[in-house]
Amino acid sequence: MSELTVDNLYLRYGDNPILKGVAMTLNRGEVVSLLGPSGSGKTTLLRAVAGLEAPHEGRILIGDKVVFDRAKGIDIPAEGRNLGLVFQSYALWPHKTVFDNVAYALKLRSISRADVGTRVQAALEQLSLGHLASRFPHQLSGGQQQRVALARALVYNPPVILLDEPLSNLDAKLREEARAWLRELIMRMQLSALCVTHDQAEALAMSDRILLLNGGKIEQQGTPEEMYSSPETLFTAEFMGSNNRLPGRVAEIRDGAALLEGDGWRLWGTAKAGAASGSDGIGMIRLERIRIAEGPGDNRLAAKLSTSMYLGDKWEHLFHVGEARVRAYGDQPLTAGAHWLEVPRQSFWIF
Amino acid sequence: MATVAKPTIPVVIERPGGGLLSGLPRALTIVLTACAVLAPLSLILYQSLLNAPFFDAVKAVGIDAYAFIFADPDFWTALRNSLLIAAGMTLIAVPLGAVLAFVMERTDFPGKRWLEPMLLVPSFVSPMVLSFGYVVAAGPVGFYSIWATDVFGAAPWGLYSLGAMSVIAGLTHVPNVYIYASSALKNLGSDVEEAARIAGASPFRVAVSVSLPLIMPALLFSAVLIFFLGIELFGLPLVLGDPEGHLVLSTYLYKLTNKLGTPSYHLMAAVAVCIVAMTIPLVLLQRHLLQNVRKYATIKGKAGRIRELPLGAWKWVAVALVGLWLFVAVIVPISGIALRAFVTNWGFGVHLAEAFTLENFREVLNEPTDVRAIWNTVLLGTVGGAITVACYTAIGFATHRRNDGWSRLVDYLVLVPRAVPGLLIGLAFLWVFLFFPPLRPLRETIFSMWIAYTVVWLAYGMRLISSSLMQVSTELEEAARTVGARRGRISREITLPLIRHGLLGSWLLVFMIFEREYSTGVYLLAPGTEVIGAELVSLWQGGAIDVVAALSLINIVLVFIGLAFALRFGVRLRD
Repeated sequence: MSELTVDNLYLRYGDNPILKGVAMTLNRGEVVSLLGPSGSGKTTLLRAVAGLEAPHEGRILIGDKVVFDRAKGIDIPAEGRNLGLVFQSYALWPHKTVFDNVAYALKLRSISRADVGTRVQAALEQLSLGHLASRFPHQLSGGQQQRVALARALVYNPPVILLDEPLSNLDAKLREEARAWLRELIMRMQLSALCVTHDQAEALAMSDRILLLNGGKIEQQGTPEEMYSSPETLFTAEFMGSNNRLPGRVAEIRDGAALLEGDGWRLWGTAKAGAASGSDGIGMIRLERIRIAEGPGDNRLAAKLSTSMYLGDKWEHLFHVGEARVRAYGDQPLTAGAHWLEVPRQSFWIF
Repeated sequence: MATVAKPTIPVVIERPGGGLLSGLPRALTIVLTACAVLAPLSLILYQSLLNAPFFDAVKAVGIDAYAFIFADPDFWTALRNSLLIAAGMTLIAVPLGAVLAFVMERTDFPGKRWLEPMLLVPSFVSPMVLSFGYVVAAGPVGFYSIWATDVFGAAPWGLYSLGAMSVIAGLTHVPNVYIYASSALKNLGSDVEEAARIAGASPFRVAVSVSLPLIMPALLFSAVLIFFLGIELFGLPLVLGDPEGHLVLSTYLYKLTNKLGTPSYHLMAAVAVCIVAMTIPLVLLQRHLLQNVRKYATIKGKAGRIRELPLGAWKWVAVALVGLWLFVAVIVPISGIALRAFVTNWGFGVHLAEAFTLENFREVLNEPTDVRAIWNTVLLGTVGGAITVACYTAIGFATHRRNDGWSRLVDYLVLVPRAVPGLLIGLAFLWVFLFFPPLRPLRETIFSMWIAYTVVWLAYGMRLISSSLMQVSTELEEAARTVGARRGRISREITLPLIRHGLLGSWLLVFMIFEREYSTGVYLLAPGTEVIGAELVSLWQGGAIDVVAALSLINIVLVFIGLAFALRFGVRLRD
């Protein structure tokens, strides 16, 4: 069952269009990430769902209840939508204690004082914050603040929880732990979550499904594996992962495979939408897919080593192939001079 | 599995906002503000277009009043004097204020921390009191004049010429420039200056070619502000212009009644309209320039820790300059009043010790009018100030985070009284009370003073309130909305508690301003509405110097009590 449906949403600030016809659904118990570069409209979409932005066209449904419908003039304000929202800045009320921050939503719902107490305490325990109830937000660490913000958004059991860059305010080290903890919490509590992030690694790790936004439109959506391993467009391919980009000319297309020719090289790869025989094309391959080979062979490139960087768990080598630069990982340092790089056909996408 | 049981919660308890009732307080606030601002001003305009006072049975619409004042040579002299003084004080206050700001913000000038509140003193003391202080300190038989005569044979200064008035007005308005110049310098990150130093510029070159151009918009703004304040000047020319008969626009208006001997409301209204016609463009220009200042502020460098520029040998030049200014603008007038309040009389051959007396204060305390004035002034500042801040807060909430036509209307409404000198607003409110019979009973209550004060300081107060409101992050309010709170509850339970320190500060500042205010009450003064400021104007006209001195000192003490509280609570004295 779909907990959240967004239909053909348009939104602009003045003359500046932000969302250009976005449609999506969020199913019960699912984590969907809105991923995209800054300015792609992902936060605006989240805020429109929350009722904090007013779209110019489209529909939003929570469960089967219409909360926004431009055509019918329905616009339930944010306070009537009963959603949970965790702000990027957490937006904890500095004049209220942790307990009062979490309890506020229940007080607004005229729940008896005793009930408020037990439910807030339960929510805090759930997030291991039980002992911090009487603290003020400024007395908490960043990670604790984040959990209070979550408790505040969860305490009234909203059908959908919205997370705006939930991890971006944490230290890099803490972020990976928090990511695992958050995913586990969402699974354990069977939450339906819509999460905004600009970090593709975070989106891959956290979500059941990813929506990639580009310039106010959904570029592609799918499971993390689909998004990473079979991008439909050049934008998706480039946004996910670390890539090598080889511009050339498409010489031939046969049985879903394409031959790309560059300055002194020819490589076969998978033909993607947009690749046409005789026109310019762009070849893309993830860094980790390139293999450093012993000598010439099928679908191999002659490359000159420019420099190497030690990354701790591996080496990253930078090669020059004519005008183009190609990066590849290796287990050991390489000697200067000419090398061969193997480009597997399945992993080399030609757009 | 979910470990928290999911009891059913009613999804929406509160009715979604947007009902008629939810908009009512806001509509009421806006309508009341509009009435309070527009009623008095439209009455002035209406009165100026009559050929007799509006309460006369025989009156006709026409431009006779304008014809009369435009034919009066005194009007043109007053206009010329106003422009000359305004220009003169701008030329003095702006460079001095800029230098003072640079010295205080960027150099290792000694004792900056305790000096800062001192610098602001002239802007907190009533100009009426300051002018009176100059008369008793440096007038022909002032303390300093007599001491100077003892030493040099004659006091090498005069006080009552146009030039002297410009200089005194200029020196006492230095704080207004200093405030804007120093916050511009504060916002200007020292990294842009350091970049110039590293590129090879000397400290002096840095000041001239980097700092100064970057704070130019702020200086330009303060120049227009000072010129505007010059046009509005009332207390200073009233006291200092009197002996040699120099009139400016406001004193011309004030003396019109004496001149004709009959209530000449239509003529006063015509002069008032002329003054407002000059000040409104100046206020709009200020608004425009202030937006420019903000524009520059957004491209500022990173405001990091500012490294002080060592003054070296220049330190003593700077100390002498700042000391001289402080002496002339603060110490001379205030010490003059403090001395005069404790002597029976003063002149050549009188010794301080022999003339010492407490009689002046006894006289004040034995005069019920004066006691009432003190009591009313305190009441107006404390209780009245609190109610005023509450009103300003209500107006602030009516426009907070709303970008519709009503908000823009309030923006302009708030700006209008800014262009009208307090003297005129007081006059206009007097007419409002006379014009609308149901309001007449309020005329002789302190309410009439309170409403006039509140309207006069509307723009200033709204700046304090909105700067507090702007500090509340939007997300804190949005977070409350998403958990289900409607606008009214958010205002009461989230925003209001968050700005309470700002409101306390605003209250203290409004207290000081209400203690200091004098011109607004001039026409509203009546048995029951006495306040120190207006009482001083009236007593000065009557020549009761002893009482004026004692009351002035009491007034200064009241302002300083407010200042002490403000400093104690860490209130920012400037924005």
